[in-house]
Amino acid sequence: MQFRLEKRREPSRFMLYATPVAAVLLTMLLGGIIFSLIGYNGFGAVREIFLTPLTNPYKWQDLGVKAAPLIIIGVGLSIAYRANVWNIGAEGQYIIGGLAGTGVALATWGMTGWWILPLMVLAGMAGGMAYASIPALLKTRLNVNEILTSLMLTYASVQLIYYLIRAPWKDPMGMGFPQTRLFSEAARLPTIIPGTIVHLGVPMAVLVGFIAWFVMTRTVFGYRMRVVGAAPSAARYGGFSENKTIWLAMLVSGGLAGLAGVLEVAGPFQRMVPGFPTNYGFTAIIVAFLGRLNPLGVIVAGVVLAITFVGGEVAQTTIGLPNAATGIFQAMMLFFLLAADILIKYRVRRVTHQASVETA
Amino acid sequence: MDLTLAIAILVTVVGASTPILIAALGELVVERSGVLNLGVEGMMLIGAIAGFVVQFHTGNPYLALLAGAAAGVMASLIFGFLTLSLSANQTATGLALTIFGTGFSALAGSSYSARPVTLMQPLFPVELATHPIGKVLFGYAFPIYFSFIMVVAIWYFLHKTRAGLILRAVGENDQSAHSIGYSVTGVRYLAVMFGGAMAGIAGACFPLLLTPQWAERMTAGRGWIAVALVVFASWKPFRLLAGAYLFGLVMTMELYAKAGGGPLSVIPSEVWAAMPYLATIAVLVLISIRRDASTNAPACLGKPFLPAN
Repeated sequence: MQFRLEKRREPSRFMLYATPVAAVLLTMLLGGIIFSLIGYNGFGAVREIFLTPLTNPYKWQDLGVKAAPLIIIGVGLSIAYRANVWNIGAEGQYIIGGLAGTGVALATWGMTGWWILPLMVLAGMAGGMAYASIPALLKTRLNVNEILTSLMLTYASVQLIYYLIRAPWKDPMGMGFPQTRLFSEAARLPTIIPGTIVHLGVPMAVLVGFIAWFVMTRTVFGYRMRVVGAAPSAARYGGFSENKTIWLAMLVSGGLAGLAGVLEVAGPFQRMVPGFPTNYGFTAIIVAFLGRLNPLGVIVAGVVLAITFVGGEVAQTTIGLPNAATGIFQAMMLFFLLAADILIKYRVRRVTHQASVETA
Repeated sequence: MDLTLAIAILVTVVGASTPILIAALGELVVERSGVLNLGVEGMMLIGAIAGFVVQFHTGNPYLALLAGAAAGVMASLIFGFLTLSLSANQTATGLALTIFGTGFSALAGSSYSARPVTLMQPLFPVELATHPIGKVLFGYAFPIYFSFIMVVAIWYFLHKTRAGLILRAVGENDQSAHSIGYSVTGVRYLAVMFGGAMAGIAGACFPLLLTPQWAERMTAGRGWIAVALVVFASWKPFRLLAGAYLFGLVMTMELYAKAGGGPLSVIPSEVWAAMPYLATIAVLVLISIRRDASTNAPACLGKPFLPAN
């Protein structure tokens, strides 16, 4: 019995949406087997990582809080990747967004007023956009690879945090710890469900997803992004400037990463600390792909990745699985998804001996 | 500056440059075959933990280097299978490999934190390295000489051998190479595996040459700098040598600035720590101002190969 790949006449929509689900299921199955083989309670790990966060209502608030930044950044990246603009420095733009928001919070420290939070949010988005405009400028003016520049800027931004909280922004009452003072009440993101940690950023993330979906499917902007990515020469012929598309993709993805950063610092952190870079910007790359670069898919994928984060923490305490295992499960999901991509354009045919002779 | 200090600085520069050079040489061969593997950082981390574990248990640094190479090859095969056999997107797969390598190495190394290993000793007898000039020439461990030999060997392979010609043909025009009977996928698999071995060795150099212990993400973005250097070097081995040493110099300045004292410490240490990354951007900018960098890139770089018939 032989198998053969046969090109489909057009890409399969069923496979486009079935493969992410298959990738998650395969990760659970093979992840369980692999972790069992290397001496852990593999299927216990799968249960804790993928199911416990869903079945335990006490974990739902954690899911929302973890999913929010992943969705917001993932939506931005999905728009950029659609246009073939490879911004992989979202982590850096997230950090600069968080720092810009921190700057406003510290400058207004002790003040009250409804305007402080919106100003922080604006500063955060502007910060993310400004940081993303460096790779955009270098790409459009000098054709410098945006993957490398955006990533290098991420490493640099981490050092900027360290510098600011060690010297100029250091909490004077912090007993020498490198961190800023706790934000005043007016600079903290309110929780929306009393008694939980669910903050305003959670519904905002879902809203961002829906707005992006509308923009991508119903507006000229969305059409432009999709055409430039799918058929660059047709886009040029149609009068869409490639440079303008690169700028738009970078500014949107950078601005959203900055938004996630400021929401994160004003919400869960409420001060700038050395542990602020939590790799959301990198995990959001997986979110964007798992969500098939579709904003609504990104919402679902953001929740799935949030499940693995929350579940990874559960597994750490209940069965002693090292935290790093979460990263492996996440990477496996992306591997399986990329491997399954071939099924969108090709179908697997079983060929009998006779048939293979005929085609030969 | 007195001679001893100058030599100490030189030796540090060599140590810092070597892993970047080795990893970048591997990536250069991969890219010359038309494949863009952005998983160098991940493969380096996997090589680093493999090398560390073997060094910890056997104390034999040569076995540790071999283990690093083997682990790098295994990791590169994941990338190769996805991108070459299943024609998956190379950019995304490379990123996935880096995410995987970060997680895998952290998991494998979780029980080894704060356990020291012995650094790799110089290749030549210490008597040769007593005189300052002797130290500059003979004072290093094996990977340093290996990296220099590989610069020449890869240049020779690419430009003076038939196999190198085939590899470049596959990278420049995969359809033609296919139509005259070469296995594009086969050649690219070999190149990707070579790149994996080199990244693995480069990773193993971190615990063996630089900091004799395991730390999560200990390669700290050096794999990405290696990828950038290949562009900087216009895919030419000798330029890669110059680029890697330029970076080694920048990183050494950071070490001396952090150690305190002297004119370097006027600038905050965080600025020095960010310097290699900012310098990477600077060289990428310089190279594109000087000429159109993309003209030297292998024509098929990053594009999946699908035979036309």
